Amino acid sequence: MRIEYNFAFFDEGSKREIRRATLKAVAIPGYQVPFASREMPIARGWGTGGLQLTLSLVGKEDILKVIDQGSDESVNAVNIKKLIIKTTGIKVTDETSEATIIQSRHRIPEIPLQAGQILVLQVPLPEPLRYYEPSELETKKLHAEQEYSGAWLMLFEQIMNYGTMSTGADHPAMVHDRYVMAPSPIPRFDNPKLNHSQALILLGAGREKKVYAVPPYTRVESLAFEDFSFEVESFQDKCCGLCGAKGVFLDEILDDLTGETFHQCNDTSYCLQRLNQKSAG
Amino acid sequence: MKLDLVHDLQEVYRKTLDSMSRPGLICNIQDQANKVAKEISNFNSAVLALILMLFDTEVKFKVCSKHEAEIVELINQLTYAKVTEIESADFILILGDADPEEIKQVFNATCPGNLRDPHKAATIIIEADSVSNDRDLTLIGPGIEKESYILVKTSHSWVDLRADKNSEYPLGIDLIFTDGNANILCLPRTTQIVQEVAG
Ligand SMILES: [Zn+2]
Repeated sequence: MRIEYNFAFFDEGSKREIRRATLKAVAIPGYQVPFASREMPIARGWGTGGLQLTLSLVGKEDILKVIDQGSDESVNAVNIKKLIIKTTGIKVTDETSEATIIQSRHRIPEIPLQAGQILVLQVPLPEPLRYYEPSELETKKLHAEQEYSGAWLMLFEQIMNYGTMSTGADHPAMVHDRYVMAPSPIPRFDNPKLNHSQALILLGAGREKKVYAVPPYTRVESLAFEDFSFEVESFQDKCCGLCGAKGVFLDEILDDLTGETFHQCNDTSYCLQRLNQKSAG
Repeated sequence: MKLDLVHDLQEVYRKTLDSMSRPGLICNIQDQANKVAKEISNFNSAVLALILMLFDTEVKFKVCSKHEAEIVELINQLTYAKVTEIESADFILILGDADPEEIKQVFNATCPGNLRDPHKAATIIIEADSVSNDRDLTLIGPGIEKESYILVKTSHSWVDLRADKNSEYPLGIDLIFTDGNANILCLPRTTQIVQEVAG
Protein backbone atom coordinates (compact mmCIF):
# COMPACT_ATOMS: atom_id res chain seq x y z
CA MET A 1 0.00 0.00 0.00
CA ARG A 2 1.19 3.49 -0.81
CA ILE A 3 0.46 6.12 1.76
CA GLU A 4 -0.42 9.49 0.32
CA TYR A 5 1.24 12.33 2.17
CA ASN A 6 0.34 15.99 2.13
CA PHE A 7 2.99 18.00 0.35
CA ALA A 8 5.46 18.93 3.08
CA PHE A 9 3.64 16.56 5.43
CA PHE A 10 1.44 19.18 7.08
CA ASP A 11 -2.14 20.00 6.29
CA GLU A 12 -2.53 23.52 4.95
CA GLY A 13 -4.13 24.75 8.20
CA SER A 14 -1.02 23.89 10.18
CA LYS A 15 1.16 25.68 7.65
CA ARG A 16 -1.06 28.77 7.72
CA GLU A 17 -0.76 29.05 11.46
CA ILE A 18 3.02 28.82 11.47
CA ARG A 19 3.18 31.23 8.54
CA ARG A 20 1.11 33.86 10.35
CA ALA A 21 3.29 33.46 13.45
CA THR A 22 6.48 33.71 11.36
CA LEU A 23 5.42 36.95 9.69
CA LYS A 24 4.79 38.46 13.13
CA ALA A 25 8.13 37.11 14.37
CA VAL A 26 9.91 38.91 11.53
CA ALA A 27 8.07 42.13 12.41
CA ILE A 28 9.24 41.91 16.07
CA PRO A 29 12.86 40.66 15.90
CA GLY A 30 13.88 38.44 18.82
CA TYR A 31 10.38 38.27 20.31
CA GLN A 32 9.03 34.74 20.81
CA VAL A 33 5.71 34.32 19.02
CA PRO A 34 3.63 31.39 20.30
CA PHE A 35 2.05 28.98 17.83
CA ALA A 36 0.14 25.72 18.09
CA SER A 37 2.79 23.07 17.61
CA ARG A 38 1.66 19.93 15.80
CA GLU A 39 2.53 16.38 16.66
CA MET A 40 5.39 15.25 14.47
CA PRO A 41 6.42 11.76 13.43
CA ILE A 42 9.83 12.22 15.02
CA ALA A 43 10.77 12.19 18.65
CA ARG A 44 10.73 15.51 20.47
CA GLY A 45 14.14 16.96 21.03
CA TRP A 46 15.01 16.11 17.47
CA GLY A 47 14.16 19.59 16.51
CA THR A 48 10.46 19.51 15.79
CA GLY A 49 10.33 23.32 15.95
CA GLY A 50 12.90 23.67 13.20
CA LEU A 51 11.26 20.96 11.17
CA GLN A 52 7.85 22.61 11.40
CA LEU A 53 9.30 25.89 10.21
CA THR A 54 11.01 24.16 7.30
CA LEU A 55 7.79 22.38 6.32
CA SER A 56 5.85 25.66 6.37
CA LEU A 57 8.46 27.26 4.11
CA VAL A 58 9.40 24.62 1.61
CA GLY A 59 8.28 24.68 -2.04
CA LYS A 60 9.01 22.54 -5.06
CA GLU A 61 11.95 24.67 -6.18
CA ASP A 62 13.77 24.72 -2.86
CA ILE A 63 17.11 23.04 -2.23
CA LEU A 64 17.50 21.94 1.35
CA LYS A 65 20.51 21.38 3.56
CA VAL A 66 20.15 19.84 7.02
CA ILE A 67 23.00 19.83 9.50
CA ASP A 68 23.22 18.54 13.02
CA GLN A 69 26.15 19.77 15.13
CA GLY A 70 28.06 20.56 11.97
CA SER A 71 27.40 17.26 10.23
CA ASP A 72 25.17 16.60 7.22
CA GLU A 73 25.37 12.86 7.79
CA SER A 74 24.29 12.49 11.41
CA VAL A 75 21.29 10.26 12.10
CA ASN A 76 19.16 13.29 12.99
CA ALA A 77 20.02 15.21 9.86
CA VAL A 78 19.53 12.19 7.64
CA ASN A 79 16.14 11.37 9.12
CA ILE A 80 14.88 14.92 8.77
CA LYS A 81 16.06 14.96 5.16
CA LYS A 82 14.31 11.63 4.52
CA LEU A 83 11.01 12.95 5.84
CA ILE A 84 11.23 16.09 3.75
CA ILE A 85 12.30 14.26 0.59
CA LYS A 86 9.53 11.73 1.04
CA THR A 87 6.83 14.38 1.44
CA THR A 88 8.12 16.98 -1.04
CA GLY A 89 10.46 15.33 -3.52
CA ILE A 90 12.75 18.37 -3.37
CA LYS A 91 16.48 18.34 -3.89
CA VAL A 92 18.85 18.21 -0.92
CA THR A 93 22.46 19.26 -0.80
CA ASP A 94 25.47 19.31 1.52
CA GLU A 95 26.81 22.48 -0.02
CA THR A 96 25.90 25.53 2.00
CA SER A 97 26.06 27.95 -0.93
CA GLU A 98 23.70 25.84 -3.04
CA ALA A 99 20.91 25.59 -0.43
CA THR A 100 17.87 27.88 -0.31
CA ILE A 101 16.81 26.59 3.12
CA ILE A 102 19.35 25.45 5.70
CA GLN A 103 17.97 23.71 8.76
CA SER A 104 20.54 23.40 11.50
CA ARG A 105 21.01 22.32 15.06
CA HIS A 106 23.88 23.75 17.13
CA ARG A 107 25.82 25.46 14.33
CA ILE A 108 25.75 28.22 11.75
CA PRO A 109 27.75 27.11 8.70
CA GLU A 110 31.27 28.47 8.15
CA ILE A 111 30.47 29.69 4.64
CA PRO A 112 28.75 33.09 4.99
CA LEU A 113 25.03 32.94 4.33
CA GLN A 114 23.64 34.94 1.43
CA ALA A 115 20.56 36.99 0.71
CA GLY A 116 17.86 34.67 -0.56
CA GLN A 117 18.80 31.91 1.85
CA ILE A 118 16.82 31.14 5.00
CA LEU A 119 18.55 29.62 8.01
CA VAL A 120 16.22 27.64 10.28
CA LEU A 121 17.67 26.96 13.71
CA GLN A 122 16.25 24.28 15.97
CA VAL A 123 15.73 25.52 19.49
CA PRO A 124 15.38 23.28 22.55
CA LEU A 125 14.94 26.13 25.08
CA PRO A 126 13.71 29.40 23.56
CA GLU A 127 13.50 31.36 26.81
CA PRO A 128 16.84 32.97 27.74
CA LEU A 129 15.50 34.03 31.14
CA ARG A 130 14.36 30.54 32.13
CA TYR A 131 17.59 29.83 34.06
CA TYR A 132 16.49 32.12 36.84
CA GLU A 133 12.75 32.49 36.24
CA PRO A 134 10.73 29.29 35.96
CA SER A 135 7.36 30.93 35.32
CA GLU A 136 6.34 31.67 31.72
CA LEU A 137 3.99 34.39 32.94
CA GLU A 138 6.90 36.09 34.72
CA THR A 139 9.35 35.82 31.83
CA LYS A 140 6.74 37.32 29.51
CA LYS A 141 6.41 40.17 31.98
CA LEU A 142 10.18 40.64 32.15
CA HIS A 143 10.38 40.83 28.34
CA ALA A 144 7.43 43.21 28.30
CA GLU A 145 9.18 45.54 30.74
CA GLN A 146 12.58 45.02 29.12
CA GLU A 147 13.73 44.00 32.56
CA TYR A 148 16.91 42.06 31.85
CA SER A 149 18.94 42.68 34.99
CA GLY A 150 18.59 38.97 35.83
CA ALA A 151 20.28 38.00 32.58
CA TRP A 152 23.16 40.37 33.34
CA LEU A 153 23.40 39.11 36.90
CA MET A 154 23.60 35.54 35.62
CA LEU A 155 26.57 36.45 33.43
CA PHE A 156 28.16 38.41 36.24
CA GLU A 157 27.93 35.42 38.59
CA GLN A 158 29.62 33.25 36.02
CA ILE A 159 32.47 35.69 35.77
CA MET A 160 32.77 35.77 39.56
CA ASN A 161 32.74 31.98 39.83
CA TYR A 162 34.80 30.98 36.84
CA GLY A 163 36.67 34.13 35.89
CA THR A 164 35.06 33.87 32.48
CA MET A 165 31.63 34.02 30.87
CA SER A 166 31.49 30.26 30.70
CA THR A 167 28.20 30.16 28.90
CA GLY A 168 29.48 27.64 26.39
CA ALA A 169 26.72 27.52 23.85
CA ASP A 170 23.48 29.55 23.71
CA HIS A 171 25.03 32.80 24.93
CA PRO A 172 22.15 35.31 25.11
CA ALA A 173 22.04 38.20 22.69
CA MET A 174 20.17 41.49 22.45
CA VAL A 175 18.19 41.83 19.24
CA HIS A 176 17.41 45.24 17.69
CA ASP A 177 18.17 46.84 21.09
CA ARG A 178 14.94 45.46 22.52
CA TYR A 179 14.66 41.72 23.18
CA VAL A 180 17.13 39.36 24.81
CA MET A 181 17.11 36.18 22.76
CA ALA A 182 18.42 32.64 23.12
CA PRO A 183 20.35 32.06 19.90
CA SER A 184 19.88 28.27 20.33
CA PRO A 185 22.85 26.15 21.47
CA ILE A 186 25.27 27.43 18.86
CA PRO A 187 28.81 28.02 20.14
CA ARG A 188 29.70 31.61 21.01
CA PHE A 189 31.87 31.39 17.92
CA ASP A 190 28.69 31.60 15.82
CA ASN A 191 26.98 34.46 17.68
CA PRO A 192 28.63 37.19 15.58
CA LYS A 193 27.18 35.57 12.44
CA LEU A 194 23.70 36.54 13.68
CA ASN A 195 24.57 40.22 13.55
CA HIS A 196 23.73 41.92 10.26
CA SER A 197 23.26 38.54 8.59
CA GLN A 198 22.49 38.67 4.90
CA ALA A 199 20.09 35.74 5.27
CA LEU A 200 16.82 35.63 7.16
CA ILE A 201 17.20 33.55 10.33
CA LEU A 202 14.18 31.78 11.82
CA LEU A 203 14.27 29.94 15.13
CA GLY A 204 11.71 27.32 16.10
CA ALA A 205 11.02 25.57 19.41
CA GLY A 206 8.64 22.63 19.10
CA ARG A 207 8.17 21.71 22.73
CA GLU A 208 7.62 25.27 23.91
CA LYS A 209 5.76 26.16 20.72
CA LYS A 210 7.59 29.35 19.91
CA VAL A 211 8.93 30.88 16.74
CA TYR A 212 11.22 33.90 16.61
CA ALA A 213 13.27 35.62 13.98
CA VAL A 214 16.32 37.66 13.16
CA PRO A 215 15.63 39.51 9.90
CA PRO A 216 18.59 40.32 7.64
CA TYR A 217 20.68 43.36 8.58
CA THR A 218 19.48 43.37 12.15
CA ARG A 219 21.64 44.30 15.10
CA VAL A 220 22.32 41.28 17.31
CA GLU A 221 24.68 41.95 20.18
CA SER A 222 25.92 39.22 22.50
CA LEU A 223 25.45 40.26 26.12
CA ALA A 224 28.71 41.39 27.70
CA PHE A 225 30.13 43.92 30.11
CA GLU A 226 32.18 46.95 29.28
CA ASP A 227 35.18 45.66 31.22
CA PHE A 228 34.48 42.05 30.39
CA SER A 229 33.82 41.79 26.71
CA PHE A 230 32.21 38.96 24.83
CA GLU A 231 34.72 36.49 23.48
CA VAL A 232 34.27 33.60 21.11
CA GLU A 233 35.92 30.25 21.72
CA SER A 234 39.59 30.56 20.85
CA PHE A 235 41.49 27.89 19.01
CA GLN A 236 44.66 29.96 19.15
CA ASP A 237 46.86 29.01 16.25
CA LYS A 238 45.35 25.56 15.82
CA CYS A 239 44.17 24.48 12.44
CA CYS A 240 42.16 21.60 10.97
CA GLY A 241 44.24 18.42 10.68
CA LEU A 242 42.45 17.49 7.46
CA CYS A 243 42.05 20.66 5.40
CA GLY A 244 44.28 23.09 7.28
CA ALA A 245 41.55 25.66 7.89
CA LYS A 246 42.15 28.31 10.54
CA GLY A 247 39.67 30.68 12.12
CA VAL A 248 36.85 28.16 11.98
CA PHE A 249 35.15 26.21 14.75
CA LEU A 250 37.27 23.12 15.48
CA ASP A 251 36.50 19.86 17.24
CA GLU A 252 39.20 18.28 19.35
CA ILE A 253 39.56 14.62 18.49
CA LEU A 254 41.48 11.99 20.39
CA ASP A 255 43.37 9.50 18.28
CA ASP A 256 42.77 6.14 20.01
CA LEU A 257 45.91 4.57 18.60
CA THR A 258 48.46 7.24 19.36
CA GLY A 259 46.68 8.87 22.30
CA GLU A 260 47.32 12.25 20.70
CA THR A 261 44.71 14.88 20.09
CA PHE A 262 44.20 16.69 16.83
CA HIS A 263 41.73 19.22 15.52
CA GLN A 264 39.21 19.01 12.76
CA CYS A 265 36.58 21.35 11.27
CA ASN A 266 33.26 20.91 13.04
CA ASP A 267 31.49 21.93 9.80
CA THR A 268 32.15 18.74 7.85
CA SER A 269 30.79 19.87 4.49
CA TYR A 270 33.00 22.95 4.66
CA CYS A 271 36.01 20.72 5.38
CA LEU A 272 35.13 18.32 2.58
CA GLN A 273 34.69 21.15 0.12
CA ARG A 274 38.15 22.46 0.97
CA LEU A 275 39.67 19.01 0.58
CA ASN A 276 37.97 18.58 -2.80
CA GLN A 277 39.23 21.95 -3.96
CA LYS A 278 42.74 21.03 -2.90
CA SER A 279 42.75 17.73 -4.77
CA ALA A 280 41.22 19.40 -7.84
CA GLY A 281 43.70 22.28 -7.80
CA MET B 1 -4.85 27.10 -14.85
CA LYS B 2 -6.55 26.68 -11.51
CA LEU B 3 -4.99 28.08 -8.34
CA ASP B 4 -3.09 25.34 -6.55
CA LEU B 5 -3.92 25.84 -2.89
CA VAL B 6 -0.69 24.13 -1.82
CA HIS B 7 2.00 25.27 -4.22
CA ASP B 8 0.69 28.64 -5.34
CA LEU B 9 -0.05 29.74 -1.80
CA GLN B 10 3.39 28.52 -0.70
CA GLU B 11 4.86 30.88 -3.29
CA VAL B 12 2.66 33.73 -2.12
CA TYR B 13 3.87 33.07 1.42
CA ARG B 14 7.56 33.01 0.54
CA LYS B 15 7.27 36.24 -1.40
CA THR B 16 5.37 37.90 1.43
CA LEU B 17 7.96 36.64 3.91
CA ASP B 18 10.73 37.93 1.69
CA SER B 19 9.10 41.37 1.51
CA MET B 20 8.41 41.41 5.25
CA SER B 21 12.05 40.47 5.96
CA ARG B 22 13.42 43.12 3.58
CA PRO B 23 11.23 46.20 3.81
CA GLY B 24 11.29 48.01 0.50
CA LEU B 25 11.73 44.79 -1.47
CA ILE B 26 8.83 44.53 -3.88
CA CYS B 27 7.83 40.98 -4.78
CA ASN B 28 5.35 40.05 -7.47
CA ILE B 29 2.59 37.46 -7.26
CA GLN B 30 1.02 38.08 -10.67
CA ASP B 31 1.08 34.38 -11.66
CA GLN B 32 -0.86 33.37 -8.58
CA ALA B 33 -3.15 36.40 -8.78
CA ASN B 34 -4.03 35.58 -12.40
CA LYS B 35 -5.14 32.12 -11.38
CA VAL B 36 -7.29 33.61 -8.63
CA ALA B 37 -8.78 36.09 -11.12
CA LYS B 38 -9.96 33.26 -13.38
CA GLU B 39 -12.15 31.99 -10.57
CA ILE B 40 -13.19 35.22 -8.87
CA SER B 41 -13.03 38.27 -11.08
CA ASN B 42 -14.83 41.02 -9.19
CA PHE B 43 -12.15 41.60 -6.55
CA ASN B 44 -8.44 42.49 -6.44
CA SER B 45 -6.89 39.12 -7.13
CA ALA B 46 -3.56 39.83 -5.40
CA VAL B 47 -5.40 40.79 -2.20
CA LEU B 48 -7.42 37.63 -2.52
CA ALA B 49 -4.28 35.52 -2.98
CA LEU B 50 -2.94 36.99 0.27
CA ILE B 51 -6.23 36.27 2.02
CA LEU B 52 -6.21 32.66 0.86
CA MET B 53 -2.65 32.30 2.14
CA LEU B 54 -3.38 33.83 5.57
CA PHE B 55 -7.04 33.44 6.51
CA ASP B 56 -8.94 30.57 8.11
CA THR B 57 -11.38 29.99 10.98
CA GLU B 58 -8.77 31.28 13.45
CA VAL B 59 -8.73 34.72 11.84
CA LYS B 60 -10.89 37.75 12.56
CA PHE B 61 -11.00 40.44 9.90
CA LYS B 62 -12.51 43.76 8.91
CA VAL B 63 -13.02 45.20 5.43
CA CYS B 64 -13.02 48.90 4.55
CA SER B 65 -14.65 49.35 1.18
CA LYS B 66 -17.80 50.64 -0.45
CA HIS B 67 -18.60 47.00 -1.16
CA GLU B 68 -17.86 45.82 2.34
CA ALA B 69 -20.87 43.52 2.70
CA GLU B 70 -20.25 41.54 -0.51
CA ILE B 71 -16.55 41.22 0.12
CA VAL B 72 -17.04 40.08 3.70
CA GLU B 73 -19.42 37.43 2.48
CA LEU B 74 -16.99 36.26 -0.19
CA ILE B 75 -14.05 36.04 2.23
CA ASN B 76 -16.15 34.24 4.79
CA GLN B 77 -17.32 31.71 2.21
CA LEU B 78 -13.81 31.09 0.92
CA THR B 79 -11.90 30.94 4.21
CA TYR B 80 -14.42 30.70 7.09
CA ALA B 81 -12.66 33.66 8.72
CA LYS B 82 -14.94 35.75 10.92
CA VAL B 83 -15.77 39.37 10.38
CA THR B 84 -15.36 41.67 13.39
CA GLU B 85 -14.87 45.29 14.45
CA ILE B 86 -11.67 47.26 13.83
CA GLU B 87 -10.46 46.92 17.43
CA SER B 88 -10.47 43.14 17.48
CA ALA B 89 -9.43 42.37 13.91
CA ASP B 90 -6.25 40.38 13.21
CA PHE B 91 -6.33 41.59 9.61
CA ILE B 92 -7.88 44.72 8.19
CA LEU B 93 -8.32 45.24 4.45
CA ILE B 94 -8.28 48.79 3.20
CA LEU B 95 -9.40 48.66 -0.40
CA GLY B 96 -8.93 51.35 -2.99
CA ASP B 97 -12.47 52.71 -2.59
CA ALA B 98 -12.35 52.94 1.22
CA ASP B 99 -13.62 56.11 2.83
CA PRO B 100 -10.72 58.34 4.03
CA GLU B 101 -12.49 59.00 7.33
CA GLU B 102 -12.83 55.27 7.93
CA ILE B 103 -9.14 54.79 7.15
CA LYS B 104 -8.23 57.31 9.85
CA GLN B 105 -10.50 55.44 12.20
CA VAL B 106 -8.76 52.17 11.33
CA PHE B 107 -5.32 53.53 12.16
CA ASN B 108 -6.60 55.04 15.39
CA ALA B 109 -8.60 52.12 16.67
CA THR B 110 -6.74 49.08 15.38
CA CYS B 111 -4.99 46.86 17.89
CA PRO B 112 -1.23 47.51 18.24
CA GLY B 113 -0.79 44.49 20.52
CA ASN B 114 0.27 44.91 24.12
CA LEU B 115 3.64 44.65 25.83
CA ARG B 116 3.05 41.04 26.89
CA ASP B 117 1.72 40.04 23.48
CA PRO B 118 2.94 42.45 20.81
CA HIS B 119 2.27 39.77 18.17
CA LYS B 120 -1.46 40.22 18.72
CA ALA B 121 -1.25 43.47 16.77
CA ALA B 122 -3.23 43.77 13.56
CA THR B 123 -1.83 43.45 10.06
CA ILE B 124 -3.32 45.92 7.60
CA ILE B 125 -3.50 44.97 3.92
CA ILE B 126 -3.79 48.07 1.77
CA GLU B 127 -4.78 48.14 -1.88
CA ALA B 128 -2.65 50.88 -3.42
CA ASP B 129 -2.84 52.40 -6.90
CA SER B 130 0.80 51.45 -7.40
CA VAL B 131 3.93 50.59 -5.45
CA SER B 132 7.45 51.07 -6.76
CA ASN B 133 11.00 51.73 -5.66
CA ASP B 134 10.94 55.27 -6.97
CA ARG B 135 12.64 57.60 -4.57
CA ASP B 136 9.86 59.10 -2.51
CA LEU B 137 10.05 57.68 1.01
CA THR B 138 13.29 56.53 2.59
CA LEU B 139 13.17 53.46 4.80
CA ILE B 140 15.59 52.35 7.50
CA GLY B 141 15.44 49.56 10.06
CA PRO B 142 15.86 45.78 10.39
CA GLY B 143 15.95 44.01 7.04
CA ILE B 144 17.47 47.02 5.28
CA GLU B 145 21.22 47.16 4.69
CA LYS B 146 21.51 50.95 4.56
CA GLU B 147 18.29 52.45 3.30
CA SER B 148 15.65 51.64 0.74
CA TYR B 149 13.25 53.79 -1.23
CA ILE B 150 9.59 53.40 -2.03
CA LEU B 151 6.78 55.24 -3.71
CA VAL B 152 3.31 54.09 -2.66
CA LYS B 153 0.48 55.78 -4.51
CA THR B 154 -2.80 55.73 -2.62
CA SER B 155 -5.84 57.99 -2.68
CA HIS B 156 -5.41 58.57 1.04
CA SER B 157 -2.45 59.50 3.24
CA TRP B 158 -1.11 56.94 5.68
CA VAL B 159 2.48 57.86 6.57
CA ASP B 160 1.64 60.07 9.56
CA LEU B 161 -1.18 57.80 10.74
CA ARG B 162 1.25 54.87 10.74
CA ALA B 163 3.96 56.86 12.52
CA ASP B 164 1.54 57.82 15.29
CA LYS B 165 0.36 54.25 15.68
CA ASN B 166 3.87 52.83 15.75
CA SER B 167 5.46 55.31 18.14
CA GLU B 168 5.80 52.82 20.99
CA TYR B 169 7.75 49.83 19.71
CA PRO B 170 7.30 46.84 20.18
CA LEU B 171 3.67 47.88 19.91
CA GLY B 172 2.54 48.73 16.41
CA ILE B 173 0.91 47.55 13.26
CA ASP B 174 2.39 45.83 10.24
CA LEU B 175 1.40 46.83 6.72
CA ILE B 176 1.21 44.88 3.48
CA PHE B 177 0.60 46.93 0.31
CA THR B 178 -0.52 45.41 -2.97
CA ASP B 179 -1.36 47.03 -6.28
CA GLY B 180 -3.07 46.24 -9.57
CA ASN B 181 0.08 44.60 -10.92
CA ALA B 182 0.11 42.17 -8.00
CA ASN B 183 3.17 43.69 -6.38
CA ILE B 184 3.68 43.19 -2.65
CA LEU B 185 5.48 45.61 -0.37
CA CYS B 186 5.62 45.15 3.40
CA LEU B 187 6.31 47.62 6.17
CA PRO B 188 6.73 45.85 9.50
CA ARG B 189 6.48 48.06 12.56
CA THR B 190 10.28 48.19 12.87
CA THR B 191 10.65 50.11 9.61
CA GLN B 192 11.18 53.82 10.06
CA ILE B 193 10.21 56.23 7.35
CA VAL B 194 12.68 59.08 7.22
CA GLN B 195 11.24 62.29 5.88
CA GLU B 196 13.66 63.53 3.27
CA VAL B 197 14.60 67.14 3.44
CA ALA B 198 13.48 68.74 0.21
CA GLY B 199 16.17 69.98 -2.12
ZN1 LIG C 1 38.84 21.07 7.85
